[in-house]
Amino acid sequence: MNSLRRSATIPRPLPGTPPVPVVPAPSRFTLENGLRVVALARSDLPQVAARLVLPAGSAVDPADAPGTACLVGSLLTEGTQELSAIELNERIDNLGASLGARASHDFAEVDLRLLAETLEEGLDLLASVVVTPSFPSREVERLRAESLDALEARLDEPANIADDHVDEAVFGPGHPYGRLPIGTLDGVRRLRRDTMVEFHRARYRPEGSVLVIVGDFDVDRMRRRLESAFQGWAGLADRIEYPSIPSELNSPERSVFVESEESGQSELRIAGLGLPRSSPDWIPAAVANYILGGSTITGRLGANLREDKGWTYGVRSGFSAGVHPGGWVVETAVGAEVTARALDEIEAELRRMVEEPISEEELARASEALILSLPRAFETPGRTVSRLATVEAYGLDPDYWERFPQRVHQVTVDDVARIAAECFAPERLVRVTVGPRSPVGS
Amino acid sequence: MHSKLKRLSLAHETAELSNGLRVVVHEDRSAPIVAVHLMYHAGSKDERIGRTGLAHLLEHLLFEGSENCPKGDFDRLLERVGGSNNGSTWLDRTNYYEVVPSHAVELALWLERERMGHFLPVLDEEMLEIQRSVVINERKQVYEDRPYGMAYERLHEVLFPVDHPYSWPTIGYTSDLEAMTLEDARDFYTRYYAPDNAVLVLAGDVGPGAGFEWAERYFGDLPRSPEERAVIRNGHPAAAGRTLVLEDRVSFPRVYDAWSVPPYGTDEWVQLDVLSYLLADGESSRLQRTLIREAELAQDSDTYLYPTELAGIFGIVTTARSGVSADQLRHAVDRVLEQVADGGVTDAEVTGAIRRARRDQLNSLANVEDRAEELAYASTVLGDAGRLEWLLNRYAEVTPAEVREAAGRHLAGEARATIVVLPGEEADDE
Repeated sequence: MNSLRRSATIPRPLPGTPPVPVVPAPSRFTLENGLRVVALARSDLPQVAARLVLPAGSAVDPADAPGTACLVGSLLTEGTQELSAIELNERIDNLGASLGARASHDFAEVDLRLLAETLEEGLDLLASVVVTPSFPSREVERLRAESLDALEARLDEPANIADDHVDEAVFGPGHPYGRLPIGTLDGVRRLRRDTMVEFHRARYRPEGSVLVIVGDFDVDRMRRRLESAFQGWAGLADRIEYPSIPSELNSPERSVFVESEESGQSELRIAGLGLPRSSPDWIPAAVANYILGGSTITGRLGANLREDKGWTYGVRSGFSAGVHPGGWVVETAVGAEVTARALDEIEAELRRMVEEPISEEELARASEALILSLPRAFETPGRTVSRLATVEAYGLDPDYWERFPQRVHQVTVDDVARIAAECFAPERLVRVTVGPRSPVGS
Repeated sequence: MHSKLKRLSLAHETAELSNGLRVVVHEDRSAPIVAVHLMYHAGSKDERIGRTGLAHLLEHLLFEGSENCPKGDFDRLLERVGGSNNGSTWLDRTNYYEVVPSHAVELALWLERERMGHFLPVLDEEMLEIQRSVVINERKQVYEDRPYGMAYERLHEVLFPVDHPYSWPTIGYTSDLEAMTLEDARDFYTRYYAPDNAVLVLAGDVGPGAGFEWAERYFGDLPRSPEERAVIRNGHPAAAGRTLVLEDRVSFPRVYDAWSVPPYGTDEWVQLDVLSYLLADGESSRLQRTLIREAELAQDSDTYLYPTELAGIFGIVTTARSGVSADQLRHAVDRVLEQVADGGVTDAEVTGAIRRARRDQLNSLANVEDRAEELAYASTVLGDAGRLEWLLNRYAEVTPAEVREAAGRHLAGEARATIVVLPGEEADDE
């Protein structure tokens, strides 16, 4: 039977000359009220994607009111001065749009997705939810109750429990990155409508915010519509003061174990401190991380734990973007019976990154993968918005993506060793295990 | 056309090689990338009782190297040219795809040739043991250890008779995965991984001239399958109206309702899809508005419609707020369905639902990877990639009367399956 299936061997074709990655150049302008706009017209599909980024993340939650930024974001689409919650949502839904806000640690992001046919009405709706939300008491109470349920439900997932312990262990509860943007049960219970209204007044301002918009439109006409939609909105958001990074970050290695008695797997996290998104080392760090665990299957961690041992469905590592140094984490779920051995293998891979130089071959493969996949990162309006928003939100150079290939090419074996020593050294990292048994002593 | 939508077009050319491989080329020069997509008309529906999970386990094995491409090289070669690749298994089909910069299309085609023509010589026990373990871990991570993670498996067992191939899960039962042998993998591969059971789609920065020539060069000499493939025609039998209650380590009750409905590609399927958007996509949709906003009974309420071949599967999933019982939720969902079936829906609601469906279609057509998959899927399940364009444009013609009738005919009454998940101790998984 096999012989029936034998076919001639064709030699593997060698790839030709790679296309030079071309990154689209958007236009940048500022509305009369100070709102910066980054716009890119493309007419391949009748679709528009937009994101408004405001310095209104959970890092600026009032100390006694964790969860404010998130709840304010959710309430934007729960009624405006002119429209009740249900009228507003009927408008959005009847346009076939999606419009919603969420808060991360650093920013609030309002995302809009539209059919090109409905662009102008859509921009008007975007402006009205951002500028004149009415925070109706009934909707405040309903969303408060929903948030409390969501806070409870998320702890049903062992992976969430692990993530929460990582943030707290790396940053400490005193740092905004050590707390969940969604807040705490106590905080959300006590949160007052007045606090939300004041948060919106102070932080949702055109100066200091940026709108990124990509899709099927005429830039001049779209700009005129923005001017009229956002007229009447004015002012500058207060600067965010971040507390300094707590000193215990450099303390010796620690382990946290949380029992999850019926799980068949252990959720594992090995985590530490990373870099600010704007760091000149971000690109070398991305290369170093790619080699270790940025790619689930070909990264060293995946090749070892999944492809060689079969202990997990996946293992990856990654840096979190932040205005301040974010976290860096290795994450996986492994069969409970191999928990301790998996931790040992991960640690061995970390040590290998720190103690032995990577090969030029590995460096070239990682660099090519990052550079040549760039056109895909700009393929759709949604992905393009996301890439351009990163540049604006973290204050990167306007030509960041144009220069990205060149900067990746400049990364050396020594750069990777330096990043590995700073970020991957096991003695600087926290280990979190959520599973049926503690790995310690086994 | 009340929703005033532009007509969507997805120009492509098709050809069939002498060994039965169907080839579709969709040219779009807007970015220097090409999606190479191979879809085999085999999924978990083609498994037998006692060997569930075979199609998916085999998909894992097919990433482990081939006669001329040792383990690991597959990914490394693609990585080196900035390509990505993946595969997936579902009820009716298994797919493998690469997205590569335009200079590396032939590399991707060569790798797929290796997968179709040069796999059996490298298949061995060690490879099987490792991937068996990976898949059992996948089952734990994605299903068993997840809150509510076993609900869909149970739901399909209740919805379909035990011998219906949609009644078992694509991931497979653990005992079946443990029992799988090399011979099982070889048999399935020999029967289904052949040019006459596959569709190749090239989408992006490539024209039909080069596309068809390359298809011939890399696949033209591969033989048809020597094995007969059974044609499965189970239709969409009505469910027995059963309800099953599960306990799980969760904080809130959740109710899953499902109906077996007409398959993908039919007029009725499109009407049901519009109904699905009208019921639960967007905060003013019927279920979300009634259950979440007005009655404050639910945290979330979603609908879905599987684009499956033997039968479509329509589902509604609703999670209770604290203090709300599963029965209250079930009654509230039923009342909404009755209102739609008895009282009908408005023009504005249908227009909004059609537009939201279009929004999601545009999202998936915006990248060549998904566009290639959609074309491959239409070709595999509907027999013609051109049916996709028809289907996408059919939405704009759906009327309120059709939506109401679809709700009345397919979702009213007792012919459904229901799983209720309650907070408690998780039962043993098997």
